[in-house]
Amino acid sequence: MSAAFGATQLPEEQERALRRAVRLAWVTLGFLATALVLMYVVMGSSQAMRTAWAEDLLSLIPPVAFLVAVRVTRRRPSPGHPYGYHRSVGVGHLVAGTALLTMGLLLVWESASALLAREHPPVGVMVVLGHPVWSGWLMIAALAYTAVPPVLLGRAKLPLARTLHDRVLHADADMNRADWMTAVAGIVGVLGIGVGLWWADSAAALVISLSILKDGVTNVRTAVRALMDARASTVDGSEVHPLVARVEEHLAAVPWVREGGVRLRDEGHVFHAECFVVPRDGVTPSLQALADLGGSVSALDWKLRDVVVVPVPELPGELLPHVAGDNAGERGRTEQGTAGHDAG
Amino acid sequence: MLVSGVLVLAVAGCGVTVPSDPDGTLDRVRDGQLRVGVTPNPPWTELPAGDDGPPAGLEVDLVTGFAGHLGADVDWEVGSEEQLVADLEDGDVDVVIGGLTARSPWASRAALTRPYVTVPGERGEEENHVMATRAGENAFLVELERYLIAQDVQADVGGLR
Repeated sequence: MSAAFGATQLPEEQERALRRAVRLAWVTLGFLATALVLMYVVMGSSQAMRTAWAEDLLSLIPPVAFLVAVRVTRRRPSPGHPYGYHRSVGVGHLVAGTALLTMGLLLVWESASALLAREHPPVGVMVVLGHPVWSGWLMIAALAYTAVPPVLLGRAKLPLARTLHDRVLHADADMNRADWMTAVAGIVGVLGIGVGLWWADSAAALVISLSILKDGVTNVRTAVRALMDARASTVDGSEVHPLVARVEEHLAAVPWVREGGVRLRDEGHVFHAECFVVPRDGVTPSLQALADLGGSVSALDWKLRDVVVVPVPELPGELLPHVAGDNAGERGRTEQGTAGHDAG
Repeated sequence: MLVSGVLVLAVAGCGVTVPSDPDGTLDRVRDGQLRVGVTPNPPWTELPAGDDGPPAGLEVDLVTGFAGHLGADVDWEVGSEEQLVADLEDGDVDVVIGGLTARSPWASRAALTRPYVTVPGERGEEENHVMATRAGENAFLVELERYLIAQDVQADVGGLR
């Protein structure tokens, strides 16, 4: 594996993380394949079991999306794709999220209607090695098998997702870590059938499908925000990415700069940085000074790509400190309204 | 994992038999009445001419044996498949026989047993024969399935058709 995302050469730490993440993605796919076959064989007519199976089937999507995105993102920028292929991560993320959301809705509907229709799931015997065994025990064994490995995989993937700034990997790790709850809900559902509580099965299925739905909503929301060029945030989307502040501090520390602001766009893995600088009165920065500043911003972090430095008489409105908070959206809307009016 | 382990133990420890019937079919049938819905489909089930006397056929024999195994008397209810499946859903019969196969469309409304015998069908395809029980009455279903497995019908029926 060449250690680059497009034109971005990866530092050693990221290179190692990437190799490990790819390996873990394959391990996940291998494990899921065994889990899917095992569960399919013993599935029977338990709704909870069917829903847990569907969730495992859906868990195939994020690792596949990750592997595809990593492959695509390695292509170098070209005249046709001057920004490179980093957005493939966003596309993969959105596809994965949409699949989860759709299946989540479908499964919520299915299990809720099973519950309302008061469906009594029949679970009979299977013959294992010549002995008749109640299928419920086999289902429980299969579900127990699927409980632990995803949690370990998720835990291993999470730090890699942070290191690589990869949202698909992060979403995958997050879902893996919560996967044991699916298994336990499924087991509770099947045990419920066992003790004669017919509703336990559909109720457990409902719980599982709601968790799938929640994953879908979270993923679609984060993916759409990234594709909308929202301010760069940490990989879990919880806070502003620290590089925003670091770049701004760096700009402010330059002697000939009166004030500076940066627009960081998260392309997936890497950021594109547009640095706006207002020179001190009377200073006209030389070409060399601008190029040096660009280079030094790039050197701050491997993620900073395509750094452009633009000298401006004053900072663009959306970068001024007084609109950085809640007003930003308000102001954007007003400007857009005016523009629309002018055009008409 | 730990949670589910504890749950398994808790269930096992409560003295509840797993699986149990939500409606207690097996407990009611044991030493009581086994209500069997029969729809004629020779040679699996046949009705006597003149409408009196008990039904006959391979499945009738099996069910009679099953009733004996549970110490129950058999109550025969004759009707069409559709009518008997409706009775099954209402809990008016416990089991329906009549040469049903695993491909029966009733699978969504009743619990079919696992096939107790496989014979070649009219067009040479495999016919997996089953009985229908009330959906969700899993202790009863499992008891019947275990009984059918123990009879090893496949060995006896080799040359039925």
